[in-house]
Amino acid sequence: MYPGYNVLDLQDEWDPHTREIVNRRLGPFTFKLLSPWEQAMIKAVAEHLICDGREEILEWVAFHVDEQLAKPFGEAQRKPGVPPQKELVRRGLKALDLWAKKHFSEAFLKLDASRQLQLISSFQQGSFHKDTGWETDVQKEFFKKVLGLVTEAYYSHPWVWSEIGYGGPAYPRGYVRIELGITDPWEPRRVGTNEGS
Amino acid sequence: MKDRKFGKEEVDVAVVGLGAAGSVLLCDLAEAGLRVVGIEAGPFWDPQNDFASDELHAKTLAWNDTRLSTGQDPLQLGSNNSGRGVGGGTVHFTGVFYRFHPSDFKVRTLDGVAEDWPISYADLEPFYAKIEQDIKVSGPREFPWGAFHGPYPYPEREPISGNAQVFRKGCEALGIKSTVAPLAILSAPYAGRPPCTNRGFCNQGCMPNAKFSTLIHHIPRALKAGAEVLSDCMATRILVNKGGLVTGVEFNHNGRNYQQKAKIVVLSAFVIETPRLLLNSACSQFPDGLANSSGLVGKYIMPHSGHDVYARFEEEIRLYKGTPVLAVSQDFYETDQSRGFVRGYSLNAHGSRPVGLARLAALNAGIWGKQLRELMLEWNHYARITLVGEVLPALSNCVTLSDEKDEYGLPRAQVSFSYGENDRKLIAHGIEKCKEILTAAGGQPALVIPDSAHLMGGCRMGNDPQTSVVNRFCQSHDIPNLYICDASVFVTSGGANPTETVMAIASRTAGHIASLA
Repeated sequence: MYPGYNVLDLQDEWDPHTREIVNRRLGPFTFKLLSPWEQAMIKAVAEHLICDGREEILEWVAFHVDEQLAKPFGEAQRKPGVPPQKELVRRGLKALDLWAKKHFSEAFLKLDASRQLQLISSFQQGSFHKDTGWETDVQKEFFKKVLGLVTEAYYSHPWVWSEIGYGGPAYPRGYVRIELGITDPWEPRRVGTNEGS
Repeated sequence: MKDRKFGKEEVDVAVVGLGAAGSVLLCDLAEAGLRVVGIEAGPFWDPQNDFASDELHAKTLAWNDTRLSTGQDPLQLGSNNSGRGVGGGTVHFTGVFYRFHPSDFKVRTLDGVAEDWPISYADLEPFYAKIEQDIKVSGPREFPWGAFHGPYPYPEREPISGNAQVFRKGCEALGIKSTVAPLAILSAPYAGRPPCTNRGFCNQGCMPNAKFSTLIHHIPRALKAGAEVLSDCMATRILVNKGGLVTGVEFNHNGRNYQQKAKIVVLSAFVIETPRLLLNSACSQFPDGLANSSGLVGKYIMPHSGHDVYARFEEEIRLYKGTPVLAVSQDFYETDQSRGFVRGYSLNAHGSRPVGLARLAALNAGIWGKQLRELMLEWNHYARITLVGEVLPALSNCVTLSDEKDEYGLPRAQVSFSYGENDRKLIAHGIEKCKEILTAAGGQPALVIPDSAHLMGGCRMGNDPQTSVVNRFCQSHDIPNLYICDASVFVTSGGANPTETVMAIASRTAGHIASLA
């Protein structure tokens, strides 16, 4: 951890376009596609994938998923036989809930954390219940799709940048001290480790 | 399509795709006095207003149209290896600027695998030199590998990042030669552009314009020389007359189709879209697609293996600081029979940002949840080396048309890729070497993330029309006024970042076309 470091304190040094993009991640969010139940499901799954339960961050993560699924352009690549991402994710969430009800007789959102994690892991393995009609490959692709979207959103949140000690956007300022053991005066520092300037 | 310059005319040359190759062609041909039009599917970027210092936002710079990706090692496409918009991939490449080695052009002769190129290193040498001078490549005074030993036009970058220092330290301890990277990134001012500020966002679009792209170098020159650039125009078909010659390009802009007539058409739409456009342009004269009498359009595509090896250090490395690649080694580039495989690789000390690391750790190494969170909380302690490994050509690695249609009603591309045995041995060797270097520098190897980079092949060049798609000047064997000029003409992949070679081939082809006019 980097005590006292908040990347958002540096935003006056950022170009306006980047500043606007980063601040949008703090909300408020207007969802375009996902229903309230789907949003809750994404957040519940994301909490396990990123190992963080802060509501503000989960809200941004769900919003990013919504934004990506709602956009009209492509998803770069998809395996043959796998539905387009919008359908894949929405059907996957339903299947996850169905599996929860079959296996634990309870809605996914009502399950305790360890049971939720168990179900999510079965998706990663593709060992999900066959009754739901999902092929092993499609289950794995659903897991990977959500994992990719959730991970990229989480590590784009400025609170997370502060915690991991990332200098964040650095334009127009740039870095002067890039070599081992030295940092620019404004960079995050672990207490008592590296020397500034 | 108002205010068209050449809308009603038959131009000398229409170039499809304005990336690394197409922009060089447009510039060189316009400066040679030809009337040229460049047709680009994506936007005409304005770095100051369109780019941002942000990884998520940078996804917009990639070709995101869905492709079906299959095979034993399905390729990740999009931002991994493509660009969309004027400047193409040069907008978000790392700027690593290697020449290929003389051996890369005669792999069949030297190693008994793949095919020889119909051109040699000597054919490209003047174009390598010209381009390096044109864009003021920075690099070491002495470059120890291949045929070119420096000096580069601009001095090497100084200082280098912590990650690059660690790499060089490890290499030195093991007796492996390393240098500061040759880069298409300024080390001193040039043409109103500043030297690099080390913010590290090369892959997100350079905002200070310290990094070269064809968007900021060749396109302005082309426009000044009278070229016309059509952005947001998706080429949908190459037009052919009854005599079997091409007559121009059909393209879509804002949902409407237009035609541009041209005496010569050059396709520079990269390794997937170039074959796709050729196949989608099938007509009664060419029922199997254009330039495809060999049946090899879309065949023999190659990525580089691009595995990332991370090691943990006691001290902070801070991968986010500085130009991503500032130190390299090509000590393992040439074939060494004792290793049990042919050909070789480059090693690039390679920085990273949080999304890049976390996303690939999750998707390619299966690390998520608590394990990923703990890794990322310590990420400032990790150093990384990235492999750029040669991948041998295989007929089964290919681009074909799928049954699915895109928004233009055209079949989507299907891309199939699997590594071969030689590729896997090379990767294993490279990973081991990275671990040795990082260990020698005082780190603990912690993580290997499988990855690939770049794309080459799909319309390879050759002297024999039965075994290649274009000749040594990138002219298609079947249709004399159709040229294909981009990374798709590569016969082998080499073991080095390919952009400089793409540009050298483009400049050579432009010279050839201009000489015909």
